[in-house]
Amino acid sequence: MNSLRFMLRTIRGLMARPGPALSLLYLTVVVLAAALAEVLPIDPFSQDFVMMLEGPSAAHWFGADELGRDILARVIYGARTSLVTAAGAVAIAGAIGIPMGLVAGFFGGWRDAVLMRIVDVMMALPAILFAMALIAVFGRSQGAALLAVGLTGVPGFARIVRAQVLTLRRRDFVVAVEAFGGTSGYNMFRTILPNSWSQILVQVVVLSSVAILLEAALAFLGVGVPPPTPSWGEMLRTGKSYLYEAPYYAVLPGIALTLTILSFDTIGRGLARILENPRDVAAAGGPT
Amino acid sequence: MTKLKTTRRLFMTAATVSVVGLGQLGFGSSAWAADLKGGTLRVAITNDMTNYDPQQFSTVNFFLIKNLYDSLIEYSAEGEAMPSLATEWTIAEDNTSVSLKLRDDVTFHSGTPFDANALTATLEKAADPERGKNVYSTMSIVKDWTVDGDHALTISFIRPIPERQITDLLQFLLPIDPAAMDSLETMEGGTGAFMLGERQVGQSVTLVRNPNYWRADQPILDELQFTIFSEDAAAASALESGSVDLIYGGQSRSAVRLRNSGFNVLQGPGKLVQVFRINSTKAPFDNKQYRQAFNYLMNRAAILKVGYAGLGEVTALPWAPANPAFDASYTEKYAYNIDKAKELLAASGLSAEEMSNWKLLVNGSDEASTAISQVVQGSLKDAGIDIELDVRQGAEFIDALLTGGFHAVFGGVGNVQKFPSRVATNSIYRTAKNPVFGDPHPHPAYVEAIAKVDSSFGEDVQPAYDNLNAVLVDEAFAIPTNSYETGLIVASPKLDGFTLDIDNLFVGRTVGFK
Repeated sequence: MNSLRFMLRTIRGLMARPGPALSLLYLTVVVLAAALAEVLPIDPFSQDFVMMLEGPSAAHWFGADELGRDILARVIYGARTSLVTAAGAVAIAGAIGIPMGLVAGFFGGWRDAVLMRIVDVMMALPAILFAMALIAVFGRSQGAALLAVGLTGVPGFARIVRAQVLTLRRRDFVVAVEAFGGTSGYNMFRTILPNSWSQILVQVVVLSSVAILLEAALAFLGVGVPPPTPSWGEMLRTGKSYLYEAPYYAVLPGIALTLTILSFDTIGRGLARILENPRDVAAAGGPT
Repeated sequence: MTKLKTTRRLFMTAATVSVVGLGQLGFGSSAWAADLKGGTLRVAITNDMTNYDPQQFSTVNFFLIKNLYDSLIEYSAEGEAMPSLATEWTIAEDNTSVSLKLRDDVTFHSGTPFDANALTATLEKAADPERGKNVYSTMSIVKDWTVDGDHALTISFIRPIPERQITDLLQFLLPIDPAAMDSLETMEGGTGAFMLGERQVGQSVTLVRNPNYWRADQPILDELQFTIFSEDAAAASALESGSVDLIYGGQSRSAVRLRNSGFNVLQGPGKLVQVFRINSTKAPFDNKQYRQAFNYLMNRAAILKVGYAGLGEVTALPWAPANPAFDASYTEKYAYNIDKAKELLAASGLSAEEMSNWKLLVNGSDEASTAISQVVQGSLKDAGIDIELDVRQGAEFIDALLTGGFHAVFGGVGNVQKFPSRVATNSIYRTAKNPVFGDPHPHPAYVEAIAKVDSSFGEDVQPAYDNLNAVLVDEAFAIPTNSYETGLIVASPKLDGFTLDIDNLFVGRTVGFK
């Protein structure tokens, strides 16, 4: 109940600011379009060679691609690819990174040293190269892209959670739980973790935008989700080849990608401001 | 030694085409040499070269080979043999040898005279499995050779060889300076109209005119300056801005756009044919009727339009029009027809699940392949076959392609404008040691048809070609879809005198400025 109230007040806090409010609105539209795509009278796979590379018309509002497929339909279905990748990547990164950070920060010592060196190694590798190497091993598929993007997000979660644990580890309420016989697991997951959610939430939003960008970059480089699955990055890659004949081709996926990333970033910054401001945290009803 | 008898028809042909050839080979499209001016021709290419070995015959070296080297004979764009370094070629009556008379006024770029002894060094290299590279398989018909004089040589064959196969061999042989034979990775050694000037690795190659060239009044140009552009669009922009005069080997789509902007697009006879390659050793493709359905499942017009901007021709056989086995009627007979395909699919006895239980391998590095694979994926879906694409990049794709690690895949085949059995130099069409099928070959009817083509003479030739064509569509392990351009030339309107090479190599000696 507290969490729900916290979420509602956080959203209310975001809606009070014009930038995050517009971003939230835009993302809601994108999520709804992606979720309800199958209900809409559009088909992203239907080929019509008579219409190939035709400009915007009543039949194809944003034109047709090189196979005569509707660009608008592919952008809407492409949103699904981006959002699923973002959600999956965040889930993978959180599922691995959060426990890593908790263990490293809570126990310290050799566990901290080993886990953080692993994180250092992962951070030393450029995310795009790391993702491409993973795709080379697992093959080109949406699952592989999701895993690759997710694993590149692990260090971020591990670092942030560890830093939060180090801050909270010696606080009275944590020590008190220990004094009353609380186990390490209980302390980590029931005492420290709930008090770290605000930072984790910001990281979730930031990683979502990074994941969408990385997925698009992989698709642009030709190693993302395989065709004919619609993907904004893949559309940009193909649209690049038709810049002279069909300059509108890459415009819509480019705008969708830019606005989505911008929206996630704006919301992330808004969240950080709200949650870092004690007055706003109190107003949001979150844990202190 | 086989007693030789001059074939009157061939001799006449050689004499006639030597005159006609001046028009076709010597002075290209419309302007005479006297009308054209020299200077430096700036050419945009999209790949750097690998070496100067004409026997490697690598596509990335196509812009160099016919400028640095000459063939023993040439083909016209229509596939007619014409003299070059060999002035006469006389095929023995029993087709077991060919006697050559060589020009006596030719020197290599080093100054070494070109003669029969020099030619033997080239033949030795070509006949060596290690050094012969792409010419080696063509040399497999050669038993030995004898020098008959300073400028005369006879090549003997292991069995009677059809006339066109012999001229193919002569056209494929480009004499190399014996002194340069071991240094072709870094230096050229030809007799061609141009000589190597300067090379900046990854950036440019400059060729300068050969002052001692044997063809009168050629080359017209003083210098050929090839600049490497990593992106086709960048090369197109360079042509439009006037930074280069010509693009060689660019993409069809840009060529069509540039043609609409007033540039000249020259399509040579040496096209490749795109082939839907089927690994018939794997289920469900081990079912013949299932494979035959694919003859009708190829929307060839759409494939040509989507993949190659319409530059090329749809075809159901792996031949270019210059090939003697070319038969246009097959294209009509095996046109895209979902209903006929469905009939064959039903007759195959396979379940819907079995029919869809495979992936189409796709070369992710090639935009055209990715696009046309999606066209086929859509056509198959209409016929009830729901498959996924297996997109792989670079070496991973090549490895799968050449070792048969696929169910089906698109891949271009070459040598489609020459003797029909030359198609067997392409991996999917090999009759022995086929990297996809292995041994024994799972399509003996095809192996027999190729052998028949190789051993037919006179009135048996056309039936052998007809039989091969019928077997190719019946066995259906490779489904041709369309011819497409390689070595495409897009030129500024201020250029003229182009010579269209049978293999679409770039020939600069007849080109000049208006």
